[in-house]
Formats: sequence, C-alpha cells, structure tokens
Amino acid sequence: MTRRAVPAALALLLAGSLAGCSNDSTSAVLAAPLCPVDDDDADNGVILMAQSVPTASWVPCIRTALPLGWGFLHLEARDGIAQFWLNSDRDGQQAVEVRLQPSCDTEDATEIVSDREGMRRFERVRQMSPTFDGERQYLFDGGCLTVVFQLDGDSPGEALALASQTIGVISRDDLRAQVHEASGGRIELDPPAGEDG
Amino acid sequence: MTTLPQAAPAPRPAPGPGPPAIHRVRRRRRPSGEAPPLPRHLNASGKWWLALSALVVVVWVVVWATGTVGLFDVADTRVLQAFEEVRSPGLTEVAEVAGVLASDTAIYALWLTNLVLLIAVRRWRHLFVGVAVGIIVVNVGASMAATLKRPRPYEVEIIGPWEGFSMPSLRVTVLATFLLITVYSLVPAGRYRTIAKWVVCALLAITGLSRLYLAQDHPTDVLAGVILGVAVPLAAFRLMTPNDVYPVRYRRGRPAHLDLSGSRGDAIVKALQDQLGLLATSVEPFGLAGSGGSTPMRITVKAAGGGESCVFAKLYAATHVHSDRWYKIGRTLLYGRLEDEQPFHSVRRLVQYEDYVLHLLTAAGLPVPTPLGIVEITPEREYLLVTEFMAGAKEIGDAEVDDGVIDQGLAVVRRMWELGVAHRDIKPANLLVRDGRLVVIDTAFAEVRPSPWRQAVDLANMMLVLGLRTDAERVYRRARMHFSDEEIAEAFAATRGLTMPSQLRRMLRQQGRDLHADFLALLPYQLPPVRIQRWSWRRIALTVATLVAALLCGAVFADLLRSPL
Repeated sequence: MTRRAVPAALALLLAGSLAGCSNDSTSAVLAAPLCPVDDDDADNGVILMAQSVPTASWVPCIRTALPLGWGFLHLEARDGIAQFWLNSDRDGQQAVEVRLQPSCDTEDATEIVSDREGMRRFERVRQMSPTFDGERQYLFDGGCLTVVFQLDGDSPGEALALASQTIGVISRDDLRAQVHEASGGRIELDPPAGEDG
Repeated sequence: MTTLPQAAPAPRPAPGPGPPAIHRVRRRRRPSGEAPPLPRHLNASGKWWLALSALVVVVWVVVWATGTVGLFDVADTRVLQAFEEVRSPGLTEVAEVAGVLASDTAIYALWLTNLVLLIAVRRWRHLFVGVAVGIIVVNVGASMAATLKRPRPYEVEIIGPWEGFSMPSLRVTVLATFLLITVYSLVPAGRYRTIAKWVVCALLAITGLSRLYLAQDHPTDVLAGVILGVAVPLAAFRLMTPNDVYPVRYRRGRPAHLDLSGSRGDAIVKALQDQLGLLATSVEPFGLAGSGGSTPMRITVKAAGGGESCVFAKLYAATHVHSDRWYKIGRTLLYGRLEDEQPFHSVRRLVQYEDYVLHLLTAAGLPVPTPLGIVEITPEREYLLVTEFMAGAKEIGDAEVDDGVIDQGLAVVRRMWELGVAHRDIKPANLLVRDGRLVVIDTAFAEVRPSPWRQAVDLANMMLVLGLRTDAERVYRRARMHFSDEEIAEAFAATRGLTMPSQLRRMLRQQGRDLHADFLALLPYQLPPVRIQRWSWRRIALTVATLVAALLCGAVFADLLRSPL
C-alpha cells in the first residue's frame, strides 16, 4: 500500500504544484457568467458579481457565444469588486477585462453617447499603437462597469465591437426576481432595505 | 589470468553451543478473517470523518442533480438572519478579530510555519504527506466550489471580506487542514495531541462562528469545509504516517528504532506465542547503538525447566526497506558498478533473506546465532526475525583476543569463501566473543556469490578488527596459516577508506595507529589498489535522474513557498 501510495502522492504533489502555477487564485471561477437566455436563468457567476457590489443596479454578463478566436479566461469576484477576462488569439491574453465596481474615476475620460439605456458612457484611449490601450466606462446607479482593452493585434475594432455586442448587462431587479423565483418566494437576493433607505 | 595459489584448508570453527532451552507451547494458526497481531487501522474517529466526507459529497451530488439547493439556502439564510439580529458594533469587532485565522496572512503563515518546522526537525515523511494533503485539499475544495457554484449568502448583509463561490468554505477547509497537519506532524501522540485536537476544535468553532456572524459563509459551507478539511489529513496521516511506525518525538534517537511498548509490545508477545510457541514475559530494546537498519530487542521467555531464558529478535518495518533502498541508491551513486545489489522491495523479502542466510551459515557450521523463525506482526509491514540470544557475549573490541579467537575469525572468512558468501559488514559490533568462541552476527548485508572484491574486503576487514586488540604482525602471522600471501595482498589492495565499516574506521582513528599501513608493511609485495570508483550506464542514468529530481524538487519547493490560496 505504502509503496504504491508514495509515488501516487508524489505525482499528485507534482501535478498539484504545476496546476497551482497555472492558476493565479483558487477562488477564480472558470465558467463564463452567462446572461439569461430564453427560459434559462442567469449564471450563478452573475449573481456572485451582483453580491460583490450590492449597490450596483446593473451587472455585466456574457450575452452570446464568443466570436471565433476569443475565449473566457476566468472570473474573480470578491467583496467590492468583480472582474472577468477574455483572451484572444490575435490580441493576446487578457485582451479584454470587464470590471464591476461601486464607482470609478472618469476624469480625463470623454463622455459620448451611450449605447446602453440608463447608463452614461465614457471613453479613454491612452495608446493606439503598437498596443491599443484604452477603457470604456459605463456609469449607472450604484456602480460602474469598466471594459479595459489591452490589444496586441493590428485592428482594435473587433474587440471594441465585442464589448458592445457580446458583453451584456442584466438589471439587479431581474436578478432579484430570479433568486426569488428559484427559492419559491422564500429568499431575496439582497437584505431588506434599512429604515433610512 | 593468473590463478592465486590456495592456502592449506583451515579446520572449521567449532559449532557454538545450542540455543537456550526454551519452553514451547502449541502454535496456533491464525484463522482466515482474524486480524493480525498489530493491524493497521484508521481508528473509529478516522472512519467517522471519512464517512462524513463521503456523505457531504453524496448530499451535494443529489442536491446538484435534483436542483434542490433552495432547501439548504432557506435553512442557511434563517440561521444567518438570526446571527444578523444580534449584530452590534462591539460584537462585530470581536467577530473580526475571532476570524483572523482564516485571513490570507494567517493561513500563509501557518503553511510556512508547518513547512519550516518540519524541515527543521527533518521529519520528511510528515512533510511530504502534509504538503501533498495541503495541495490536494486546496485543489479539491476549489474544484468543488467551482462545480457547485453556490453564491454567497442571500438576504443578509455580508460585512466581512470574501471571494469566490461559497460551498465549501475554502478558507475554513484550508485552515482545518493546515491545523490538522500541525497536530499530526508536530505534536507527539498522547496527551499533548489530545489537547491539541481540542484546541483545533475550539479554533475552528471560533472561526466558523465569526464567519457566520459576518455572513461570509453559509452554515453548511462551514460544516462541509470542516469535514473535508479534517477528514483528508486525518486519513492521510493515519494511513501513511501511523504513529507506531513514524512517531512524532523530539528526544534523540534513530528514526529506524521503533517503539516496543504499548500495542506493538503486546502484539509481539501474542505473535511469539501463536507463531513460534514462545511464552514471552518481557520485550526490551537491546543493542540499539550498534543497529541502524532494524530495531533489535531482547525477549525474555519461559524456559523449558522453569525459570526464564532469552531470545534475540530484530524487528523490520517498511521504514527499514525504504532506508535500505535509499542506502543502496546512495552507494551506487558513490561507487558505481562495485555496488551491484538490487534493493529489496518488501519487508517480507528482507526478513526472508536474512533468515535464509542464517540457515545457510548455520548449516555450513559457521558460528552464527541459531535462527528460531520469522514472526509476522503486521502483514507486509512488520516482521520479527527471532534468533538465539548470545548471553554473556562481548563485542570483540571489549573482549580478550587470543590466537584461538584470531584463528576462528580467519577460519570464518575462509569458510565463507568456500561457501561463496560475503558478510559485507565485518566490524567490531558484529563479532562477539563468548567463552573464547567467536560468533558472527548481523548477516543482513550478506551476499551469496559475491564479487571477488567483496570477498577480499571481508578478509582485510576481519584482519583489521582482529588487529585492534592485538597487533598487525600477530594477526598476519596467523593469517598466513589460512591464506596465501597473494590472497592477503589482494585483500589489502581492495580495502581502504570507505570500504571499511564506519565503526571500524572510527576505532582505528581512536587508537591513533595506522593498522592498515602496518599490514601493508608486512606484505612481501603489494598489489595495485583496486579502483573503487567505476562508472556504468546505470550509474550515469542514476546520477542524471538524481540531478533532474533535485531540480524538480527545488522548483516544486519554490512553488510551495507561495500562498496556497
């Protein structure tokens, strides 16, 4: 038993260590936070993001299948912030970062007409070439959605379009309704508002 | 090729006195299904924790497959709401302090402390098991959380830090595991470990309550974390570092020596009666200083005519097989092709081999202790080799050595040459003198059909040992009656430095005389020294593999120094 167990444990140790090298955090979520589609509810990763920023009235999610060449890296959600990253075979690893926070700094950013209802949109481009380095921010009640672009490829247009078409948002009210329904009306997503609120 | 002239055959040494008269009773065969004398077991608590772990996994598979997680959510939420009801600024501060053990810094500090302490006390097996368990638990816990995808608590305000999905509570899982690693690898078994277990229990309870108060986890997350975090290290340490084989202790002593008291002592007494028909009345360690590869003991048994007699026994365990394997790999790296033995792969084989050699030498009339049999203590893990006890015998280094003893020693080597056997560990501790008779003990390293080099080394070492209490000239003079000048010259050409047992080298140094040079000076001519360093493909491959393994170990260790979370 021991003779067999030792090499097995050694292999596990080695595999575990190597696996640990490839993953930055044990709390990283590898499944994409999908938006609700037809009868399917939003993924639990979206609810987790909503819990990260309890004030946020909107929560980001991935609306449709990612275009060819794009892949979901992972989601990290903790108290106060939730982020997920998308990899591209042309624009590099972590080419797009989507970040939800209670607030964000829009100084030096240019406000343009928003493509999302109920949100203000800001754009900030730091560098065009050789790497496109820019941010798109959506400000809304209780939160800020930031899409960060670090694009190694020649044409940033595809990634910028992806941010509009593939990255969706779901309202907190919809998520509340989802949790309420899933629990048979016995649980709410958020604690009851205080007397002052 | 020149054939060395043979010396005149020497008379065989007189056989030693027979074994002591021992009272024997009827032996008893262990029926199928009956536990061995010292069974391996997890203990009841280990089984309970493993069963609980299995239950957690089963429950979550059912919940996940049937989509009934809502039932747990409701129950958990009500418990957390009850905690929320009693929140106050003062209690919140207390809860934040109470939960500090589950923080990044505390968990990392605990991990590093365990690593550093285990390295400092050189408890490699516990370190290895602890590291493997730590990595497995962290990855299993993280994988479970990613699979179950349970969000953080609903309908309560979370007022403590958190990250990722909640089931199981990864921080509680990891904290429980690391605390258990500390308990099972650093705290000696017995009273101290019992106290440590209660301390761990209290720490986990405090941490869990803190996390519930702050609503960081659901109650079932904490429960699952504790069960997983306790069960895995508990099972791993109890199975892979059983305390009776790998005890945690801080007093000096060789790790090869096993504790002969308690359950093992009782098992030895029972096994001796069942398997050899010996009625043992006491078991005590004997001659530990001269033994590094087994646990030697003197067993007092009932004598045939009333009163008491003694037998000698050596307990071999899996640890000794591992040591033997590493020892042989080390020697292959050091000496190359001269180290031509394959390691043993099981304790049973090791004991069988020594028993066989003892029977072979006894049948050939060599003065060795009479073998009395092999006793199974734990199947495939622990065996006892029982032999005659050489009562009243002294180590040759402390005994009177006359021409008779010298002749017996030289005749032993001659007889072993005739048999085609080499003892390979001729040193003062393995040559006893009783009533003017020489007895050779510890045949564990003996080799059948050895290389001529090994046979020559046996002769030179025997002459050096005999010369310790006399002088080179006297031993050489007697040796010429048993061996030719060529054979003696070959022996001293083959023997120098590391080919001598370390005890013999140490005693030669203590005497402050170069006995080896004295013998060389007496030889009518000298043969060129036999080269010890010899390269072979096996040695090259082993050296490369060792370097690669060392590099890999270094890389893995560097990775382990990072925070496990």
